[in-house]
Amino acid sequence: MGWLYTAPALLIFSVFIIGPTAYTLYVSLFHWNALNTAKSKYIGLANYRSLLGSTAPSFLSSAWHSLYFSGAMVIGGTALSLAFALLLQRGGRLLGAARVAVFAPHATPVVATSLAWVWIFNPQFGLADTLLKAVHLPQPGWLQSTTWAMPSVIAYSLWHEVGFTVVLFLGGLAVISPELSEAARVDGANAWQEFWHVTWPQLRPVTLFVVIITSISSLQAFTQFYEMSQGGPVYATTTLSFLLYQEAFVFFDTGYGAALAIVLFAVTAAFTLLQRRTGDRISRSS
Amino acid sequence: MLAGLLFLLPFYYVVVTSLNSASVSASVSDILLPHWQWANYSRAWAAAPWPRLFLNTLLIASATVLLALATSLLAGFAFGVMRFRGRGLLFGLVMSVLMIPGTVLIIPDYIIANDINWLDTYWIQIVPWGASVFGIFLVRQFFLGLPQEIFDAAELDGAGRLRMLWSIGIPLVRPAIVIISLNVFLASWNSFLWPFIMTSSPDVQPVEVGLAAFAGANGTDFPALSAAVVFTTAPVLLFFLVLQRHFITGAMSTAGGVRG
Repeated sequence: MGWLYTAPALLIFSVFIIGPTAYTLYVSLFHWNALNTAKSKYIGLANYRSLLGSTAPSFLSSAWHSLYFSGAMVIGGTALSLAFALLLQRGGRLLGAARVAVFAPHATPVVATSLAWVWIFNPQFGLADTLLKAVHLPQPGWLQSTTWAMPSVIAYSLWHEVGFTVVLFLGGLAVISPELSEAARVDGANAWQEFWHVTWPQLRPVTLFVVIITSISSLQAFTQFYEMSQGGPVYATTTLSFLLYQEAFVFFDTGYGAALAIVLFAVTAAFTLLQRRTGDRISRSS
Repeated sequence: MLAGLLFLLPFYYVVVTSLNSASVSASVSDILLPHWQWANYSRAWAAAPWPRLFLNTLLIASATVLLALATSLLAGFAFGVMRFRGRGLLFGLVMSVLMIPGTVLIIPDYIIANDINWLDTYWIQIVPWGASVFGIFLVRQFFLGLPQEIFDAAELDGAGRLRMLWSIGIPLVRPAIVIISLNVFLASWNSFLWPFIMTSSPDVQPVEVGLAAFAGANGTDFPALSAAVVFTTAPVLLFFLVLQRHFITGAMSTAGGVRG
């Protein structure tokens, strides 16, 4: 009987998620003909070999951009959202409103708000440059600069994502034991000691959760790169996800795109497992 | 508090830009104070079939919510209340779906959609998102938290399983239903890559894809583009603000339930 109730969900997962994952692996072994599937040619691992040999942009540089972006999102996002959560954890009307303000960007469509940030970074009318000019600081060129394009996209993405992880941390803070903090304060611990020795260890499960979902979502991030930088300038923001879109849907090299998808899958899975492992080890040793 | 204002600054800025003329000089006061050029809005509104795009988004998002609710309630009920062989294994399979990034699926699902003639239809934008791991997990958690006796007693009464779920189960897991509906609705409204790849005609495209196309065609008309950003984002932001309490408690309870 139970099978019957789970069947609708399992059918959708099988047809559109589980089956297609295996199918991606299959397609990645072909020189795939997008117009006429029958004309596709089996070429073994050749797609993976040309992946490693690619130059404009090189596969390794795209992989590095993915890691750069995801690393910054995980480290910056976790630190920022933990800090905000600690600031906002006391109730009250003003802090409640601040919570909503910090969460609001997360509710907006990436297409729309990333366009808003393109103006912010615009060299003629942009808010960022106008403010920098007003205080006589040099303007880095933001999205037009190979060095600053990625940090600009990261700034937008942090603005968009942090609200959600703040609330996750608030959820974690809400269920930690108040007695322990009380006891620490009675023993004369200062705020920092209390955080470091009492609060932080209890937040580890939530932190691990935040780190895992942030790394999965940032490895997949696509829309802000499409809207803000189109992978440029000179491939400076071409990540694996953006490259996959370009190869498969702009240049129609489906087999090659599928090989990229498999690599992205492997990287994501490796990341997740590694973080789970480390999490297990930390929680065992403490 | 200051941080809160800083997070709102981009919203303010895009509203001001949508009311300025393109030739405004770049002084701080000029770009931060509106000049009330309402013509930007009529120019943006005339440039694309917005009512149709909004209607498509609403239709797709609502249908996805209904389907996801149905599949999550059925599967969550089965995993939480019913006993059957292979339950643990199937639940493990469902959870493993979380490990598969959406970007991996876009190529094979495009090929599949092409094979079954679903490209450029509503179907391809609804059905693949009509099952949610998060939804199943949440419903299961709610049912696990209820005393099993409720359902045993109903069984003695001879209530059919499906009626039991409908008349006893659903009222008890209402908070889960609210959380799932809001999250699926917002995710559907805000999705881009999927409909962007899977559709090509404005007849079935959602508003976000229309906005991206508008940005591609009118990239230099900042004020009109800002106006389009404002009127496409306002409904979804309003939706969030009215229901923000549910979004925030939903996310908080997700994290509160996370164990190492």
